[in-house]
Amino acid sequence: MAATAPEWLLASETDLAPCALTGRRRRRGFLEKTIQATARFLQSAIRSEETASEHGLLQRLDARVKLVSLVALLLAAALVRHVSVLLALLLATLALAVSSRLPLRLFLTRAWLYVPLFTGIVVAPAALSFVTPGEVVVSLGHWFGHPVGLTHQGLESAALVVSRVTVSISLVVLVAMTTSWPRLLAALRTLLCPKLLVLVIGMTYRFLFTLLGAVEEMYVAREARPRSSERSVRQGRAFVFASVGALFGKTQALSEDVHQAMVARGYDGDARMLERSRLTLVDVAWIGACILVVMLLLGVDRAAL
Amino acid sequence: MHIPDGYLSPATCAVLGGVMVPVTAIAVARAKEVAKSRYAPLIATGAAFSFLVQMLNVPVPDGTTAHAVGAVLIAILLGPWAAVIAVTVALIIQAFLFGDGGVLALGANAFNMAFIMPFVGYGIYRLLSYGSSLSSRRRVLAAGIGGYVGITAAALCAAIEFGIQPDLFETADGTPLYAPFHLSQTIPAMLLAHLTVAGFAELALTAGVVAYLQRANLPLLAFKHRGIAETADDSSPPRSAWRWALIGIGVTALLTPLGLLAPGGAFGEDAPAELDLGKYHLGAVPRGLVKYADFWQHTLFADYGFSSGQHETLAYLISAGLGILAAGAAVFAIVVTTRFVSGRAERSPSAETA
Repeated sequence: MAATAPEWLLASETDLAPCALTGRRRRRGFLEKTIQATARFLQSAIRSEETASEHGLLQRLDARVKLVSLVALLLAAALVRHVSVLLALLLATLALAVSSRLPLRLFLTRAWLYVPLFTGIVVAPAALSFVTPGEVVVSLGHWFGHPVGLTHQGLESAALVVSRVTVSISLVVLVAMTTSWPRLLAALRTLLCPKLLVLVIGMTYRFLFTLLGAVEEMYVAREARPRSSERSVRQGRAFVFASVGALFGKTQALSEDVHQAMVARGYDGDARMLERSRLTLVDVAWIGACILVVMLLLGVDRAAL
Repeated sequence: MHIPDGYLSPATCAVLGGVMVPVTAIAVARAKEVAKSRYAPLIATGAAFSFLVQMLNVPVPDGTTAHAVGAVLIAILLGPWAAVIAVTVALIIQAFLFGDGGVLALGANAFNMAFIMPFVGYGIYRLLSYGSSLSSRRRVLAAGIGGYVGITAAALCAAIEFGIQPDLFETADGTPLYAPFHLSQTIPAMLLAHLTVAGFAELALTAGVVAYLQRANLPLLAFKHRGIAETADDSSPPRSAWRWALIGIGVTALLTPLGLLAPGGAFGEDAPAELDLGKYHLGAVPRGLVKYADFWQHTLFADYGFSSGQHETLAYLISAGLGILAAGAAVFAIVVTTRFVSGRAERSPSAETA
C-alpha cells in the first residue's frame, strides 16, 4: 500500500515574506527551527517511502544491485578527470530520475540546487592564483609585481569538484528515493556489513521516529507556553541541555524495555533476517549496463587526456 | 563537518575506511562483551540519540543557532567504544537516507567524528576529571573542555584530509583533481571556524548536559562511572601507590629533554684519553678504566646518538624512549616472574591440604 503524506506536512513555510522589501523576515528561534527540522525529517522519510513504491525503472531493481552499482558509479565519478564526462553522467542521472517517475522538482532541489551552490561558494576561492597557481585567464591586477587573477587550472579544478559533488549526491539521492529502507538494510546485510551492525541500524531507524516524537512533544510544549520577556539565550540553552539530558533518560528506558521484549520473544544476542529476494532479468541487464557505462566513462576520460 | 563525496580522492577514502574497519570491529566486540544481549537495543538507542542531538539547534548569542556533533557527550554517557558504533550508525543513516556526508567518504567521516572526536574528547575528560566526585563542578568543566578539544581535533583531521589532496592528486598542468586548497589554507580555515563557534557549541552542549544530569538524574550519569563517589563527602576509593609511582616516572620521562641542556659529562664517561688528568690531580689514567673502557662496543646508540652522528636531538630522545621501554620491560618481567613463583609457592601447599 502506498503511503501518502498529509497536506500539512508537505506545505512549505508560509511565514516568509515574498520579498524583503514588503515585509520583515521573522528570525526563527531555536525552538521553531528544531520543530521544523523534525517535520522536515518526517516529510523526507515519508516522501522517500512514497517514491520508492512507484513503478519506475530503479524501483524494479534489487536493492543489492542498486547498492553495488551506486558504489561502482560513485567510484567512476571519483576517478574521472574531465568536467564534460561528469556532466554527461549528470544528465544520465536526470534521465534515470525521469524513468523512475520521481517528482522532478523534489529531485532537482535535493540534488541540483543547494549542494552545487554551497560547494561552489566553498571552492570558488580556489580559482584565484593565490590558491592554485597557473596560467592567469582573467587578470585582476598585480600584487608585488606578480600577475594576480583567476587561473585556468583553478577554474577547472573548481568546476571539477562542483560537478563531481553534484553527480555523487544525485546518485545517492536516486538510490535513497527509489529504495524502501527495509530493502536497503537487507541489501547492506547481504553485502558487507556484519549482521549485528545491520540489526542495530534497522533498530536505530525505528527508534528515531519514537524519539523524534518525544523531542517534538518537548519542544511544542515549550513553544506553547506563553512567551515572556525574560526568555534569554541562556535560558534557551538551559532548555536544550535539559531536553537532551531527558532524552538520554528516555533512550535508556526505551532500550531496557525493548531488550526485555526481545528476550521475551526468544532473542539470544544473535541477529536473524528474513529470506532475501532473487535477482531478476532486469537486474542482470542493469548490471551489464552499469559495467558498460563505467568502462565507457573511464575509457572516454582516459582517451581525452 | 560532514565531508561529501567528491572532495576526497578514492585512495584517501580507502585508507581511512581501512582504518575504520578494525576500529569498528573492536568496538562491536567490546560492546558485545560488556552488554551481551542488551547490546543491540542499547547501541541502537545510542545511535538514535546521536542522530537527534545533531538535529537540535543550540542557541548562541546574536540570535543564531549552531549544531553540535555530540560524540564526546555520548562517549561520556555510554563509553568511547559505544560512541564509535553509535556515531558511525548515525553517519550511515545520514549518508544513505539524506545524502548528508558522502558514501565513499563514510570512512573519512567516521574516522573524524566517530573515532578521533570521542576518543580525544573522552581522554581529556578522564584526565581533567580524575579523582573528582560525580557531582563536582570540575567534572562539568572537564566534559566541556573534552567536547571543545574533541571537535577541534576532528576538524583538524578533516583539514589535513582536505589539505593533502592538491599535493597528492593533480594533473600534469597543475590542476588539482579533488579538494583544491592546501594545508596552509585548510588548517587555519577549519580551526578558526571550530575554535570560535562550533567548539563553543560543543562545549556548551557537553558541559550543559552533564550539569543537568548531575542535578536531575545522577544515576544515569553513574551508568558509565562505576566506582566513582557521587559526592565529595563519600569516601573516595583508595588510590594505589603504583599510580603515584607511574605519575612520578611519567613526569621524569617528560623532563628527559633537559638532559640536552646539561653541559659536561661524568668522570671519564666518553673516553679515557679525553680525561683532563690535571683537574683531578692524577698522574695517569687509572688502569682499570683503561682495561674496561673498550670492554663493550656493541651498542645500538653509542653516546646516545645515531652511528652516523646526525640528528643529535632526535637520537637523544629516541635513546631516552627506548631506555625507558627497556627498563620498564625488565621491571615488568621481574614482577611477573616473582608473582608467578610466589603464586606457585602459595598454590602447592593448599593443593596438599585439599
